[in-house]
Amino acid sequence: MKVKCPVCGAEIELPEDVMDGEIIECESCGAQLEVKKSGDKIELKVAEEAAEDWGE
Amino acid sequence: MLVVVKAGGRTLMNNMENIVKSIVKRKDWKVIFVHGGGDLVDEWERRMGMEPQFKISASGVKFRYTDEKELEVFVAVLGGLLNKKIVSEFYKQGRNAFGMTGADGPSVIAERKRRVIVKEKVGERERKRAIPGGYTGKIVEVRKEPFEALLNSDMVPVVAPIALGKEGELLNVNGDQMAAEIAKALKADYLLLLTDVPGVLVDREVVKEIRAQEAEEFAKSKIGPGMNIKVIMAGRVAMEGTKVVIADGTKDDPLSVIESREGTWIV
Repeated sequence: MKVKCPVCGAEIELPEDVMDGEIIECESCGAQLEVKKSGDKIELKVAEEAAEDWGE
Repeated sequence: MLVVVKAGGRTLMNNMENIVKSIVKRKDWKVIFVHGGGDLVDEWERRMGMEPQFKISASGVKFRYTDEKELEVFVAVLGGLLNKKIVSEFYKQGRNAFGMTGADGPSVIAERKRRVIVKEKVGERERKRAIPGGYTGKIVEVRKEPFEALLNSDMVPVVAPIALGKEGELLNVNGDQMAAEIAKALKADYLLLLTDVPGVLVDREVVKEIRAQEAEEFAKSKIGPGMNIKVIMAGRVAMEGTKVVIADGTKDDPLSVIESREGTWIV
């Protein structure tokens, strides 16, 4: 399945088994994108950066 | 002199009596004691038929994943059992201590991590994935009044690594971060991080001193996981004027490192 990168507009080919929440990197601009999947509908949004400070 | 002492769970379970004795004998020092205890949480979860969940972050750090059920055990074991065992050890040795979590007061406020990015193998592929953050938080505020009131009443605050989220939820926070943020807020003279090794080791030798400004770079280039996070945090605390000592908590008198200048000093 092909979708457009929300940052640079390049076409991204998603793996067939792509999962909701999966992080994909746009090969064209390098943006980290989160897959939003509901039913057959797939959208990409820029993944939020998560600082790594864990609990105990 | 105000000293914030933090001991990890394993160090504490093996040497609680001596660590407490070391604090009690220094009657002139004001001490805030922060404890960890992740190992004990694992043990209790297994006793209750639950398996602790660990995940791997995008950068390869292994961390506890705290869901709602796990949080209940975390609060019961660290905020309850272990915290009260420490308080009772202080009482047995003749000093009054006040067991609390950061949620009490509240004294420590954290921001809940909404999403975390983990690496996991699903099907044939290893993938990076954003999942709900669970009940883990990053400390954003320490309210110093509860600590000051206890210190002024000659009590040792004994603090479990649990904070209150902005919506009133209980959150698992890192014990080293808890100690570091309390030390910063109260402008402690020293932050003493007790571990089960003699200090920061490079090529099996204890590093005697790390300059605060160089701590982050040093941690990233020369130190392994676990200790590197301690050194990064230590550097940030030391920049604010608190001397940080990382030292062996398994000895008979662990606080003596402040007088003898042993362990690793971050200044």
